Amino acid sequence: MPVLRPTRTARRRRPTSRGTLGLLLLATPGIVWFLVFAYGPMAGLVVAFKDFKVSEGIFGSPWNGLQNFAYFFSSGDAPRIVINTIFLNALFLVASLAAGLLLALMLNEIQGRFTRRFGQSIIFFPYFVSPVVISIILQAVLAGVGGRGGMVNNLLNVFDLPNVNWYTTPGAWPWILTVVKVWQLGGYTSVIFLAAITSIPEDVYEAAALDGASKARMALSVTTPLLLPTLGILIVLGVGRIFFGDFATIYAIVGDNGTLFPTTDVIDTYVFRSLRTVGDFGTTAAIGLFQSIVGFVFVSAAVLVQRRVDKESSIL
Amino acid sequence: MSFIASGRTQTITDIEAEMALSDVPPSRPGAARVPGRKRFEPFTVVSYICVGIFGLFCLVPLWMIVAGSFTDESVLAANGYSIWPAPFSLAAYQLLFTGQSLVNGYIASLFITIVGTALSLSCTASLAWVIARRLPRISRPLTIFAYIPMLFTGGLVPLYLLVTQVLNLSNDWFSVILPIMLAPFLIFVAVSFFRQLPEEILDSARIDGAGELRIFFQIVIPLSKPILAVLGLFYAVTYWNEWFMALLFISDPDKFPLQLILQNLISNVTNAATLPGASASQAAAPVYQIRFAMTVMTIAPILFGYPFAQRFFVKGLTLGATKG
Repeated sequence: MPVLRPTRTARRRRPTSRGTLGLLLLATPGIVWFLVFAYGPMAGLVVAFKDFKVSEGIFGSPWNGLQNFAYFFSSGDAPRIVINTIFLNALFLVASLAAGLLLALMLNEIQGRFTRRFGQSIIFFPYFVSPVVISIILQAVLAGVGGRGGMVNNLLNVFDLPNVNWYTTPGAWPWILTVVKVWQLGGYTSVIFLAAITSIPEDVYEAAALDGASKARMALSVTTPLLLPTLGILIVLGVGRIFFGDFATIYAIVGDNGTLFPTTDVIDTYVFRSLRTVGDFGTTAAIGLFQSIVGFVFVSAAVLVQRRVDKESSIL
Repeated sequence: MSFIASGRTQTITDIEAEMALSDVPPSRPGAARVPGRKRFEPFTVVSYICVGIFGLFCLVPLWMIVAGSFTDESVLAANGYSIWPAPFSLAAYQLLFTGQSLVNGYIASLFITIVGTALSLSCTASLAWVIARRLPRISRPLTIFAYIPMLFTGGLVPLYLLVTQVLNLSNDWFSVILPIMLAPFLIFVAVSFFRQLPEEILDSARIDGAGELRIFFQIVIPLSKPILAVLGLFYAVTYWNEWFMALLFISDPDKFPLQLILQNLISNVTNAATLPGASASQAAAPVYQIRFAMTVMTIAPILFGYPFAQRFFVKGLTLGATKG
């Protein structure tokens, strides 16, 4: 019910100066956190332009211009990890969105609230399994126990196919990681799609039923087109994040297994490894800055597109 | 096919006729579809099968780990792991519970999760309220202030230097908590919830002379329990599963959280399996069984809490997806 608000109410909502002070006090811990842990590292990026030495500190170390960047781009690793990052993320995005969309369409067919919720809860669960646990499961599935074949190889044996030593076969890993991602995110994505499906008005389906559409036809020609806006937003958000690898999952699974680097090494794992093994802070920070800048371009473009497409959900 | 179609047409016209007669507006259009929905079409059957298969695909790997943790090491090494723990064995759990590392790991993980979630939740709620309060000259700059880190980050190296060189938090559990304490996205989820609170209640409190802080603590917080539960659960799972910060900043084995202990167990067993000389000394301890048992202990809290908490997660995700 619309309530006519007198101007006095509006004036009352504006806090007194003491009230403002109280509110600022309330916001202080959060503001301090952002200054230290979000904006502090941004200032720390000056390390990328320095010949950093721990003994001399961030501000004492001498400047060395763009040398750190030159070192990274001439090392020959740059094209490989950039391509890997974009290729793997694109693969993950397409696969998990496709799986999520299909699962949502199918979950929508399941009758009975309880059964549907139960199914939804089960496929949503892998989202909460930590990368380390995923890595252990994957080892058991691919490499088995004690050097035995593992589940996948046992399956291959059934079809008279030879065993594969997965952990020394780099070519298979983009696909293995994609399967892991679908396992991890398929249910999660389907919950988002299902939420969008519930907002589709019922009379659209009634009209389709009146025209003699089957359930499959409804899913294909009614539900899917109506989910396109949601899909579009998820694609835009995913593309915005395309320059940031899912470090935790990939590093937990691949670790320092150098055989798999040609196909699995992404920017984040590369940065982490060079920080740990080489300890060259300057170059590593330079790679990080490169990633942040390219990532920023992608994210900003994504946000702009999203705001144009869907004004309601934009934050600012 | 034509029979089905005509059948449905019949049903719907019947209902339409009924509605026309009773002259009641169709308050619940969903009810009209129920007769048509009862029939099982090919696509429905396919859906049940596919969702079932995907459900198994999600659960079987986890079950294998649980079964493996109860299977005797000798069988595990000879046959690989099985659906059912054939010679039932508690050896791994006995070893884990007599050792100190599981207890230490639980203490570390619980500290990080409980203290971290409390800090995250209080900071998120208070900052989000100040943003949602639409204060002139304060709320909007704060929104931008919290939004920029979603677009641009300093990256790993400056963070590493900040925690180890400037704050000197190495080997402190706060080095795991602080870097991931606030998630801008969740702050904005809270903001959009706060903005939906009925303004009338807040106004009446103001008329009664309640100050800003009193309104926040005694009215906003109690009204926001659902969203706080959602945010708390998301933060708690994040802290429980966090291992990367621990990997970076914690090197003292006594302070390892569970995830890091597990991570080390992976590399140790891999080492043990690949080095032939090491297997002799390792033979006594059921290494694989321990690894599975440790995995089970690590996901146990999530596994047990999930059935009760899952509706909050679904709710929170939906909220984030539509309002984010």
